[in-house]
Amino acid sequence: MWKIKEGSAPHWALRLLGVAVIFFAVIWIPTQMSTSRIGQFSDAFVLIIAAMSLNLVLGFTGMISIGHSAFFGVGGYTAAILIKDHGWSPGYTFYAAAVIAFVLGCLIALPALRIKGVYLALVTLAVAVLFPVLVKWKKLVWLTDGAKGIDSVRYDELPVWPIIGELKGRDGRAVFAYWLAFVILVVTYAVCRGVVKSRFGRSLVAIRDNETAAAVMGVNLTATKVLVFGISASLCSMAGVLSTLRTGVITPEGQYVTLLGSIVFLLIMVVGGAGTLWGPIVGGLVYVWLDNTTRGFGSDSEGVIGFLFGWADQSPATLILGVALVLIMFLAPYGLVGLIKRLWTKVVVVVPKPAGTSATSVAVTTADTPR
Amino acid sequence: MKRISKKAIALTMAGALALAACGGDDGGSEAPAETEAPATEETEAPADTEAPADTEAPAAAGWTVDTSSCVDPDAANAPIEGTLKIGSAMPLSGGVAATAFAPVKDGFEAYIAWANETGLLGDLTLEVQIEDDQYNKDLTPGAVEKLLDAGTNVFSGIIGSPNNAAVRDLLNEECYPQLLALTGSPEWGRAEDYPWTTGILIPYTVEARAYAAAIAETYGEGANVGVFIVNNEFGQVYAEAFKEIAPEFGINIVDEQTIEATDSAPPTAQVNSIASKAPDAILAVPLGAGCATFLGEVANAKAANAGWDPQIYITATCASSLILGLAGAAADGLYTAQNLKDILDPAVAAEPAIAEYIAYMESIGKGDIITTAAAGWHTAEMTVLIIKQAMESPEGLTRASIINAARNFDQVGTFTRDGIRLKMNGLEDQFLAESLQVIQYDAETQLFTDIGELITEFES
Amino acid sequence: MERFFQYVFDGLSFGAIYALLALGLVVVFRGTGHLNFAQGEMAMFCTFLTWQYHSWGVPLVLAILLGMATGFVMGAGAEVSLIRKVAKKSEAGVFVVSIALFLGLNSLAAMIWGNLPPEQMASLFPDEPDDFLRVFGAVWRYEYMGMLLVALVLMGLLFLLFSKTKFGLAMRSVASNPESARLVGIPTGTVLASSWGIAGAMGALAGTMFGATTGELTAGLMFTVFIYASASATLGGFDSPGGAVIAGLSIGVGEQLAAGYAPGWIGQELRLGVALVIIFVVLLFKPSGLFGSVKVQRV
Repeated sequence: MWKIKEGSAPHWALRLLGVAVIFFAVIWIPTQMSTSRIGQFSDAFVLIIAAMSLNLVLGFTGMISIGHSAFFGVGGYTAAILIKDHGWSPGYTFYAAAVIAFVLGCLIALPALRIKGVYLALVTLAVAVLFPVLVKWKKLVWLTDGAKGIDSVRYDELPVWPIIGELKGRDGRAVFAYWLAFVILVVTYAVCRGVVKSRFGRSLVAIRDNETAAAVMGVNLTATKVLVFGISASLCSMAGVLSTLRTGVITPEGQYVTLLGSIVFLLIMVVGGAGTLWGPIVGGLVYVWLDNTTRGFGSDSEGVIGFLFGWADQSPATLILGVALVLIMFLAPYGLVGLIKRLWTKVVVVVPKPAGTSATSVAVTTADTPR
Repeated sequence: MKRISKKAIALTMAGALALAACGGDDGGSEAPAETEAPATEETEAPADTEAPADTEAPAAAGWTVDTSSCVDPDAANAPIEGTLKIGSAMPLSGGVAATAFAPVKDGFEAYIAWANETGLLGDLTLEVQIEDDQYNKDLTPGAVEKLLDAGTNVFSGIIGSPNNAAVRDLLNEECYPQLLALTGSPEWGRAEDYPWTTGILIPYTVEARAYAAAIAETYGEGANVGVFIVNNEFGQVYAEAFKEIAPEFGINIVDEQTIEATDSAPPTAQVNSIASKAPDAILAVPLGAGCATFLGEVANAKAANAGWDPQIYITATCASSLILGLAGAAADGLYTAQNLKDILDPAVAAEPAIAEYIAYMESIGKGDIITTAAAGWHTAEMTVLIIKQAMESPEGLTRASIINAARNFDQVGTFTRDGIRLKMNGLEDQFLAESLQVIQYDAETQLFTDIGELITEFES
Repeated sequence: MERFFQYVFDGLSFGAIYALLALGLVVVFRGTGHLNFAQGEMAMFCTFLTWQYHSWGVPLVLAILLGMATGFVMGAGAEVSLIRKVAKKSEAGVFVVSIALFLGLNSLAAMIWGNLPPEQMASLFPDEPDDFLRVFGAVWRYEYMGMLLVALVLMGLLFLLFSKTKFGLAMRSVASNPESARLVGIPTGTVLASSWGIAGAMGALAGTMFGATTGELTAGLMFTVFIYASASATLGGFDSPGGAVIAGLSIGVGEQLAAGYAPGWIGQELRLGVALVIIFVVLLFKPSGLFGSVKVQRV
């Protein structure tokens, strides 16, 4: 095990290395990989953004929500309606969706003030199932086009890139979608990080750990819960906008707009590591990879996979996901990020400065608090 | 919704299941949804497989696609030699949709393999790659992009209206033929805006009109009709088309009821409501598993309301003896429509080309899915006929010539009913399958009989 | 007027199914304090198994009993092997595991019975079109009557179990205070596993009867029913079995009435919406449900 002092040169070198790796990876993807791979990453980013928004509410504040697919849908429909029916430029729909979802999130959080745990899960379940039902409601067909959904929602022009120049056609769109998703991802990360590292964030964790104690210590439960739910909802809606722009279509039965979508977001968050900033990112990438790989399993597979799943009528992708989820709950309850942190501390440990020597906060990884 | 194979499936969730879906979603879904379950219909009957017997190659003038606005016009007009790659995205897993449609992939691949073996296209070898998009339109762009990166030249038989819509802009911009979308949405008949996209199933609008015409013929002016649809894109388009044309035939729509795609409960209340208005006929557009359930409810309602015996017109997606067999006697005498032959009819199965299809499927171990897979076989056959026509055109085989051939097309396939020709003609005729035959189901023999004449008036 | 009775009869019959499933949710909640998100999928899976037993030649009644037994084993097995172990670590973890069960069972059912040929569940009761009774002018099908009766009988048996047997007493004491129960010598583990087992068995029966009314079995069979059952358990109170039953029947009747008498506003599309709104309203104003007990948290 290698001990480094916090703030020392090796520590900075390590941080710089980490940043460089990420930077390199982020640039590598749209420039060197094939168009479909870039697309896969864009799709993964959309899921990651949704999972990050859920993380704020579930991972950090401890409020169970399986209703975020409704916010995703709100975002998607806002974008579709504004672009198609009112000719808005797609960029502004992000703002509109964020505002609308924020309001909605705050409203839905109101029942959450009095109920916890399984009851909150039920309320959010109701929200998730109600959303597609409302979209198809006869009284709202003038707005949402009912069950038919809205299609042909897209950017008309692609921007001209500074160095590369103009990229046309699907390559250009793929790169643009990638960067757009990436920007939204960074914004989401920044918001989440800002929330979590602030006093507000600490009050969230306090609520998660013991609500009554938090209230006693002066946390305004109502304001905090409503605010975090609103922020979470607006972040999730941006993921919805991205999804609509990428496919150009939104329907009330699209996967991420129904309860199944909420479940996927939850899955990603849990697998990656609830209550950590990087959890949803890792979880999203793993989920997309797992989904892509296992979707092909079936009667065409050979070898071990063929033996295990060749007999099945359909692909075992969801089953494998369920099994993976259970394994994570047993083997890595703090998710993959928690696991990585635990293993990481066997290699390198950053020793915090003795208290009182500087104003740095204590946000360092140590071996015994895998959070 | 698309109609393909006989299996109807309910979706869940979406969503539904939600799974839904899971939804299934016929429109939903995906349980799926979903889940949503797509209904499938397809009682194909093989016609003759001899290669393009008739059909003068669409001679000289005819609609041609404008490649000047393509992202890469040269690629669109570049000759394709040696190998031609066909790509598609179908629901192979993930819920009810897959249950209905997965065998379509088998049928499609089987035909391509058979075409290669019999050297149908001479020196040209065909390759096919079908990706799984789980009936989720969010995954279709990824699947199509993967295929594009893999060098696909032509797309054919993508399943699902939202799925096709999700990639339509992309493929039209890049100028790739998006042939024979396996759905009956009228959206695929927009040659001015989306010249590269075509569909293969009878448009729901045409089917609804055919039933309206049939009802008017049987009951004359002032017929009372009750409408029952599944509440998704599939059902909505149907209902709208029917309501639009009803006044023309003097039809009164006395009741309109819906059922959710994810709801597997029997539509007791809906059917009771329709029964209380005692219409002469019912237009039914249920989804997948809902077909048998609905018919059962109508039978119950008929027993409870002595003297009421409405004629049921049910969507072709339910019209497979597998599904109708579940309904038993309740399905006796219902009307539906088809433009393909019923492969389960022994007389039809004995026809040489169809017998060959069945034998081939059995030889590759897929004998139990011949009904659903027939949709795939049929689509693949049409694709190959289009390609052959493109090969023989003056420009040779290019992506542009393929779509030109598709839109100047007049041929029959193995499963096509006698007297029906599958035609497209530039901007005048934008749908391939517009002729259909109203058929009636006999629950005892589990076969269909033709009622009346072939309806060709919608053929442009 | 006969329309009203029609809605009531149909509502009671389907409400009985919601009540059965809701009872399963309540038994699990009372016993172990968790919401079994996979209750519907377990029921669906057991329904398919029942169909499979029947298609292998087992007589229908026996197949149904076998299906219920399988449901019991499945529920108890899930509790012992998964839920119990995760509950030690975290509460939210149990929810996640039950979601994993939901996904897994749904997928497994599609993998095993997904494709052709379609499966149709046979009915315990006579279900020909003319098997009905006219009551007050409305039609009550034997099939639906049978569902209601069987469900009521089963619920009655369950109440007997709770109130008159030693085992029921043990269940109630574990529900009220697990620590003391263990100290007194009650085999808490067995009791907990049995709660899940009972829920599984009841779900199997609910699924089988419900499945028989549909024309074809699919993996999404119990999804909507699960939502209704959750609404029922919420309305009645998660720790009140009687409440769940009353609520289930009420919601069954209520949704029929709402959809039938307000076709423009609610209609068949928003029928599910009725249950969802009920969940909202109840949790907003009286989270413990109509008949549930209010939990007092001492700080």
